[in-house]
Amino acid sequence: MNRFVEQLTKTDGAGLGESFTGTGSAPAGLNFELASGSNPASFTQQYTDVASEKDARIKIAHGTTTLAFKFREGVLVATDSRATMGNIISSQSVKKVIEINPYLLGTMAGGAADCSFWERVLGMECRLYELRNKKRISVAAASKLLANLVYRYKGMGLSMGTMVAGWDDKGPGLYYVDSDGERLTNDLFSVGSGSTFAYGVLDSHYRYDMTVEEAKDLARKAIYHATHRDAYSGGVVRMYWVNENGWVAYPLEDVGELYYQYHPEIQLTNSTESPLRVNASA
Amino acid sequence: MLAQAEHQQQSAAGFKFDNVKRNQLLTGKGFKQSTATKTGTTIVGLIYKDGVVLGADTRATADTIVADKNCEKIHYLAPNMYCCGAGTAADTEFTTNMVSSQIALHSLNTGREARVATAMTMLKHHLFRHQGYIGAALVLGGYDITGPHLYSIAPHGSTDKLPFVTMGSGSLAAMSMFESRWRPNMSRDEAVELVKDAIEAGIFNDLGSGSNVDICILTQGNVEYVRGYSRPNERVEKEQSYRFPRGTTEFYVTKTTETATAMDTSA
Amino acid sequence: MEYNGSAIVAMVGKNCVAIAADKRLGQQALTVDMDFEKVFPMTDRTYIGLSGLATDVKTVHDTLRMRVNLYKHREERVIEPRTMAHMVSHMLYERRFGPYYIEPIIAGLDKNQKPFICGTDLIGCPNFPSDFVVTGTAGSNLFGMCESLWEPDLEADDLFETISQALLNAVDRDAVSGWGAVVHVITPEGVITREIKNRMD
Repeated sequence: MNRFVEQLTKTDGAGLGESFTGTGSAPAGLNFELASGSNPASFTQQYTDVASEKDARIKIAHGTTTLAFKFREGVLVATDSRATMGNIISSQSVKKVIEINPYLLGTMAGGAADCSFWERVLGMECRLYELRNKKRISVAAASKLLANLVYRYKGMGLSMGTMVAGWDDKGPGLYYVDSDGERLTNDLFSVGSGSTFAYGVLDSHYRYDMTVEEAKDLARKAIYHATHRDAYSGGVVRMYWVNENGWVAYPLEDVGELYYQYHPEIQLTNSTESPLRVNASA
Repeated sequence: MLAQAEHQQQSAAGFKFDNVKRNQLLTGKGFKQSTATKTGTTIVGLIYKDGVVLGADTRATADTIVADKNCEKIHYLAPNMYCCGAGTAADTEFTTNMVSSQIALHSLNTGREARVATAMTMLKHHLFRHQGYIGAALVLGGYDITGPHLYSIAPHGSTDKLPFVTMGSGSLAAMSMFESRWRPNMSRDEAVELVKDAIEAGIFNDLGSGSNVDICILTQGNVEYVRGYSRPNERVEKEQSYRFPRGTTEFYVTKTTETATAMDTSA
Repeated sequence: MEYNGSAIVAMVGKNCVAIAADKRLGQQALTVDMDFEKVFPMTDRTYIGLSGLATDVKTVHDTLRMRVNLYKHREERVIEPRTMAHMVSHMLYERRFGPYYIEPIIAGLDKNQKPFICGTDLIGCPNFPSDFVVTGTAGSNLFGMCESLWEPDLEADDLFETISQALLNAVDRDAVSGWGAVVHVITPEGVITREIKNRMD
């Protein structure tokens, strides 16, 4: 048997993998080398804990606005696209929505590498589930898989705040999962440094019986306002709609232009006539 | 009214410390202070047959950024004295400035040209009094009634009187030139050439030093200050113009303030 | 510097100078104000830009305004940009061991209509370049923009484009500055002030 497949299917000796994931096989990516010593988590924490402002810590990129909400016609997922390293904007075109499969989306906040790696692992697990059970995994099960996966590394510096959105037999599904092992479900979530601003807009205008267009307008407005006030959010608005046929991606909308669309009273010009010379001749 | 206002702003001479407590508080809260401009610097001086030659590079840095590509590090002290400065740029600037005015007053009081030793004493007293917190490393050169003199002055106030000195981060590179080539009673051309080579050694081998070579030749009753004596780092002409067509930038408010007919500043 | 965020640049042109600044006032990640003044006219043709801690921007501007007015009364003439640069430099060095957290830029035309620009660090070390000066959190970005965009002898209209594009593109790569920008082009005839279109994120 191929070594890779073998690794995927073999039962984890430690036993934790089995009992926690409940899939009967140890998920991949569970064989990271840990720091030696009796308590790898607390050892690693010294260097990765973001809360304690130590000099010699491993710095992890933060700063994002992501949101998702359920409404009458499914789930709407929206994100900004900015990545920062300290105060430098390292990218304005990051893809913070991870397409796990045609029915499942994951959002990215916190460590980019952590999110993309673990949601890729999740994608694989979901596919294996389909092959084993001849049916698609539910959003609830998928999000629990992810929560269990990251819970094994709790306290060792993983940093992710993610939303798993999708559609299954029960209809639209939306879960919040983070690296502390938290897993919640609700109609509306927003994650990241700009989330407080997004919540402000969402909470004041959200209704369950919105149309898709209304939902898009709300999501766009929430992301826009978050990028406007939060220094670490910006770039473009990226939106997805999840319905019974899977997800649909919408064209990107530049936040730089949105401001002037929301403020039509600002009259822009690029007149090349020098005002001083005009005044002088008058 | 005016006198009162002026009196209020001209409080006791010397440094003000009223921000210190606040700044300590801010620093304690994790506030980052920006870096002061430093002169990584190669500065040198030597004595030759007829006088003293001072030399300096022209790079000023703020951390790893080159803050000024062509700054002046040879400061005027008196008609017969100049002083190269390395270290915290503001400190070298203001320390030499202050001593320069003290010397001017001293000359006025005594009716004589000040001696280099006097300037050296003023500088070292000032620096020693501040216990190294004024980050100025200086090379002082001059020609007075007793002949040519050359001193190096460290930030804590210690001084050396030597026939050739180097200071700054490029001092080792420069000293390698002096140690191998300096001789007593060199000619003017030899001396200038050696100073130039010493500074260039700093410019090329020390990352804190760069750009051009400034030189100052002090002889009896004469000073020759050459800005950019050597310019080994001239920027080549740009291969392309990045000029934007007029009308590129969009704007939304225009305000014009016309100047009242040719500003009256002649009074 | 990083606490409030800022970007200021000044450039020399042909018989003119320009000074431009962003308009953001933040508290770290939170943008509080998008119309915060950082460039102040001190005389008809001398402008000062103050980057750094906002509270010190206000304090230094007020103190300097007082000193410039006192100078005018005492000397019965308008202060020259170079004189003002030394005034600022002294004000800052006076607090060498407890500095104001600001880095100013001065731009103006002198009595002979000659362009003048000057920058100092937070303890007042003056720097008189012949091309451009930059300051603020986007300072290193601005250095890169200016080194490539600036060229000698730009006319006022071209200088406006060059300085605007330098600032705009610099703040677009800095998270804590931007949110609107203002450009002043100082010419012998007068000053053109424009608020330019900028990304608001």
